[in-house]
Amino acid sequence: MMKMFKNTKKLIATLLAAMLCLPFSCAEHQPQGHDHENESHSEAEHRELVQLPDSVLAEFGIAVDTAGPGIVRQHRDLTGEIVIDPDRLAHIIPRFPGIVKSVRKKIGDRVRAGETLAVIESNESLSPYEVTSLIDGTVIEMHLTKGEAVNDNSHDIMVADLSYVWADLSVYQKDLEHLAVGQKATLSIGGNIPDFTGRIAYISPTLSEVKRTATARVIVANPQGHWRPGLFINAEVITAAAEVPLAIPKTALESFENQTVVFVKTGDGFTPQSVKIGRENHTTVEILAGLEKGERYVSKGGFTLKAELEKSAFGDGHSH
Amino acid sequence: MKRIIDIGLKNRLLILAAGLLVIAAGYYSYRQLPIDAFPDVSPSLVQVFTVTKGLAPEEVEKYVTYPVEVAMNGIPHLKNIRSISNFGLSVINVYFDDGTDIYFARQLVSERLQEAREQIPEGFGDPQMGPISTGMGLVLFYYLEDESGQYSLEEMRTIQDWLVKFQLQTVPGVTEVLGIGGWEKQYHVIVDPNSLLRYEVTIKEIIDKIHANNLNVGAQFIEKNAEEFVVRSAGLASGIEDLESIVIKAIDGTPVYLRQLADVRIGGAIRRGVQTRNGIEEVVSGMVVKLFGANASTVIGAVEAKMAEINAILPAGVRIVPYYEQKTLVEACVRTVSDALYLGILLVVLVLFVFMGSIRPSLVVAVSIPFSILFAVIGMRYLGISANLMSFGGLAIAIGMMVDGTIVMVENIDRLLRQAPEGESRTTVIARACREVLRPVLFAITIIIVVFLPLFTLQGVEGKTFSPLAAAVALAMFGSLLFALALAPVLADLLMRRPAASSRARPAETHMMLRFLIRLYRPAVTFVVKRRGFAVALAALLVVIGLLLFPRLGSEFTPTLQEGTIVLRLTMAPSISLTESTRITQIVERRLMKIPEIEGVVTRIGRGEVGAHTDPINSAEMYILLKPKEHWRVAGGQQALTRRIRAGVGEIPGVLANFTQPIQMTVDELLEGVRAELAVKLFGDDLEVLKDKADGIAALLKDLPGAADVQVDQVSGTPQLFIRIDRQAIARYGINVADVQQTLSAAVGGETAGQIFEGIRRFDILVRFSEGARSSKTAIENLLIPGPDGIHLPLAQLAAVEELVGPRQITRERNQRFITVQCNVSGRDIGSFVEAGQQAIAAGVELPPGYLVTWGGQFRLQQEANQRLAVVIPLTLLLIFLLLFSSFNSLKNTLLILLNIPLALVGGVAALWLTGQNLSVPASVGFIALFGIALENGMVLVTHLNQLVREGRSLDAASIEGALLRLRPVLMTALTTALGLIPLLLSNGTGSEVQQPLATVVVGGLLTSTVLTLLVIPAIYKWFAE
Repeated sequence: MMKMFKNTKKLIATLLAAMLCLPFSCAEHQPQGHDHENESHSEAEHRELVQLPDSVLAEFGIAVDTAGPGIVRQHRDLTGEIVIDPDRLAHIIPRFPGIVKSVRKKIGDRVRAGETLAVIESNESLSPYEVTSLIDGTVIEMHLTKGEAVNDNSHDIMVADLSYVWADLSVYQKDLEHLAVGQKATLSIGGNIPDFTGRIAYISPTLSEVKRTATARVIVANPQGHWRPGLFINAEVITAAAEVPLAIPKTALESFENQTVVFVKTGDGFTPQSVKIGRENHTTVEILAGLEKGERYVSKGGFTLKAELEKSAFGDGHSH
Repeated sequence: MKRIIDIGLKNRLLILAAGLLVIAAGYYSYRQLPIDAFPDVSPSLVQVFTVTKGLAPEEVEKYVTYPVEVAMNGIPHLKNIRSISNFGLSVINVYFDDGTDIYFARQLVSERLQEAREQIPEGFGDPQMGPISTGMGLVLFYYLEDESGQYSLEEMRTIQDWLVKFQLQTVPGVTEVLGIGGWEKQYHVIVDPNSLLRYEVTIKEIIDKIHANNLNVGAQFIEKNAEEFVVRSAGLASGIEDLESIVIKAIDGTPVYLRQLADVRIGGAIRRGVQTRNGIEEVVSGMVVKLFGANASTVIGAVEAKMAEINAILPAGVRIVPYYEQKTLVEACVRTVSDALYLGILLVVLVLFVFMGSIRPSLVVAVSIPFSILFAVIGMRYLGISANLMSFGGLAIAIGMMVDGTIVMVENIDRLLRQAPEGESRTTVIARACREVLRPVLFAITIIIVVFLPLFTLQGVEGKTFSPLAAAVALAMFGSLLFALALAPVLADLLMRRPAASSRARPAETHMMLRFLIRLYRPAVTFVVKRRGFAVALAALLVVIGLLLFPRLGSEFTPTLQEGTIVLRLTMAPSISLTESTRITQIVERRLMKIPEIEGVVTRIGRGEVGAHTDPINSAEMYILLKPKEHWRVAGGQQALTRRIRAGVGEIPGVLANFTQPIQMTVDELLEGVRAELAVKLFGDDLEVLKDKADGIAALLKDLPGAADVQVDQVSGTPQLFIRIDRQAIARYGINVADVQQTLSAAVGGETAGQIFEGIRRFDILVRFSEGARSSKTAIENLLIPGPDGIHLPLAQLAAVEELVGPRQITRERNQRFITVQCNVSGRDIGSFVEAGQQAIAAGVELPPGYLVTWGGQFRLQQEANQRLAVVIPLTLLLIFLLLFSSFNSLKNTLLILLNIPLALVGGVAALWLTGQNLSVPASVGFIALFGIALENGMVLVTHLNQLVREGRSLDAASIEGALLRLRPVLMTALTTALGLIPLLLSNGTGSEVQQPLATVVVGGLLTSTVLTLLVIPAIYKWFAE
């Protein structure tokens, strides 16, 4: 707005001059873009060099680190559920139709192989026979009640050995290519129950037509019985873990002039250096080119340096 | 014409009564007059704001800005439409012709908004007009201090929004109270995406269920016996527990409660602004916006009173602390000008007494001051001019001039009363005396009014700044004319006595002071009349000195009004996050706190409730609270201190820091257009093409000789996570685009699912995914999109998630996108630069069809002003010439009087040079005033010389005689004017920086002009006499 004043002033000055009927030049014009005074507008000699004293680095929380080797772990987060290992499950069906005389075990009881589960009086022989467990395990289903007539296959008993269970993880199409048998998987169900770490034992060759997911299986040792079948679980599968010669935290990456750069300390300041990125995960990234081992680089707070370089460009950043 | 005097003298009582009436009406008007600090220079503007939930600039433009803009087309008095589409906010500035009634304009906009609303898709925002206010409307800012330390930022914001704001909005004259800072309280339903999978529920179902379990209904009434019972059902959720117990679905009769799927808790709404304080804490604050046209000082007073009431009902430990009040500024400005006014009046009366040597005539003259001022006040109230620095400054300037007419009258009456024959009645003598000087007085005052006319033709900001001054001067002068013509003779008749016979002599000889002056003056004037060459040489010498000095004067804008409040404005990188900008701001605040003069810092980052500010989050405004002046290490004013603070803050990496002031800043924002001299605007559709071509234009301009500060608008720079839905992929699974987008928007951005009422306070229920499941690119890629038959698919399988850099804002003007290339021109005439630039662009930049280049900027305004003034100033001069000519009926006399002008200018120029001031607009206004005064002086003298000649004296004798006789009135008018300005000249109060150059010019010019009037005119009168 002051600009306009100035122009008017020039006008009036000119007119005053005209009124004096004598020619003389009016005051020299000084170009001025803003009426605000820019506090710090000095453009560095090297456009892409930022110099900051150590005290300022500390004040703005800019951290400098030395580039070196590291491990880049990649992982996939999957969900799934605990199911019973079919090899450790016994379906026990009373052989002859009859009347249930007694039920010896109830759901949840631990039984041994050969242990009597129930006694049934056969309709044919009218003599009782014992229904025994086929395996060591826990009774998980018991469809027999005292006095009940058993005349078909619906009255079964299920005994499961839960010392080992399966974690069936749903794998979406996009993650399939990254998964392989033998990869390490950490399972969690939350709460105070400790995580279980195992390996992928099996990946289904087909996808479910309904859910459009494949199944990856981890065999879970379940001595305490925490991993109850039916539980919904989260799994983190390490799909790759590479020791790389140069790994830096992701916070060091800045995008500058359409490139990914790392600010590297040179003799007198920091310069943005374009880097080529290899493998990466949430926190760490492998650098393939652009940064040398042993170089000092800005690991955190590079944004401030980037902003300093772009400062001249966002001068009129305000909306009006 | 001359009968006016006789009629007046015959109807003394009537005239007196009329005079008293004017004074009474003036006083009444004065009480009613709105008081502001400065004239309001805000444009006639209606702003339309639309807050859109999380939309990117492109979508804001497409869905909101465009329909609103289109609806506004064709409104009467429309000047221009500009719009900014930002992330989540659309701002449309509808500019009207200057002087359009604001309520009328709002009415028109409001009607059109109805149409626009229908065009905006459901849920994309509701356009609202900004507060009924102007750039000067932000009269008071406060923050809430919590000494108890037991209230969270959500609670503080609730106190602000539902207690403080509510109460303050009831104050008359307050149009809006806008809150910022802290967190707006919300009920957050933080959904765990895995539990959605586990229970096979979608986020949409959750939202629907919350809606369905949170309402009250009315069911009319039943009749029971003779009575009616109203039937109502209460089913509103009242808090977290109610929400948690909502059943989302039942599996085999087992209910699944919301608490199994989500964590329900109190949280803060998504915000685009933060308020921090002293580098140590976040605070909640508010801005009081004054209603358009309301009296700033009254409103602020009422707000303060209300605040005291509110403080009493706030929870213990919480209180309102104002940190910026326009009142201080208003008071300071009013004090500056009223001090000048009172002192001026005092000095003028003193001069009168000294020169008149008697209390009675002085009294008559002195009364003309209040009369003229009050007359001007009536006019100001009628014209809607507020009492402010400029209008009252105009009155202060005019004090010395408004007595001039009456001085001439009374001086003549005084003289004639002494000379008149014994037999003539007093009234007749007075009538005769008045008739004698009637014409010159009439013409002199008319000329002064006329010279101020060009100021009324100024447009834009300087027009709005200086027209109150011109109007006040013109009105006061008109009042003084009325006084001189009608009231002065009557009052003289009532108050002035014939001197006792013993002292009946020439007035000049009765008075010590005058005798002394005449003793000095007589030889001088005799000398120059005898040796005319000397007088001419003296005049020529002075003119030459003036000519030599003039180019040495620096040029300056209007000296910036010092508002007394320093604001440090930070501009950070456009892509910055609010968290980071808050962190950086607090670092700067801590730096500021180390400066000993600074008491505290309160900073606003981004914007709060929409209405006053539309700043993006990369912008922070730091209000610097100063300790009282005694604690400053620097003497001198605000500017010295600003320098000190700038040094103290030092370099801030990655941040642009500008010092500015609150009103200046707000007004700058509202003003239309670009601040650079030259603005090349490229209109077109494609942002990429615009950017590309604008860069091309900038490169060409940079190569032109004379180009400086070439700058292209920074239009891009906001990183985006762009989700491009793969239509084939979703088709494979039978999923709709909307399914993907609904989940995306609810999961990442959050969706409002009704409100929780706490009494009349209402808080949104926000459903959103837990942070880990939405806050990174990987997390978003893994978002599960529900499909048909209970299938869930990760987003990455249905869409490409890309990181790209998008536009930070889209600006439009006249319904089209545009980009500006700004540029200043140095060492070269702008006209030729523009021509060269146009040729270069025509040759060097190939524009696709539909793209258009326009050339604007300040140079355009200047050209327009040039054209206007090129007509107005010659017209004014012609008018003055005609007035003089009709007064004297002599071309030679007219020329002689016009000769006064250059002689007066010399003094003004010299005074500026001596005081080291620059040529600025107020100085130019001073020159204009000087014209009038110089002409007046010349007229008084020449009229008298003519009269003496007519009485038969020789030219030489008449020259000397007349000059001696007119010494008293000329000196008196010059001295009153000069002394009237002295207080302004010496003042260093707030606002004095604008008035000082003006006063300097007038006082300096009067010195030379008076000396020369008294020496040169008598000397060369001979050559110009008829």
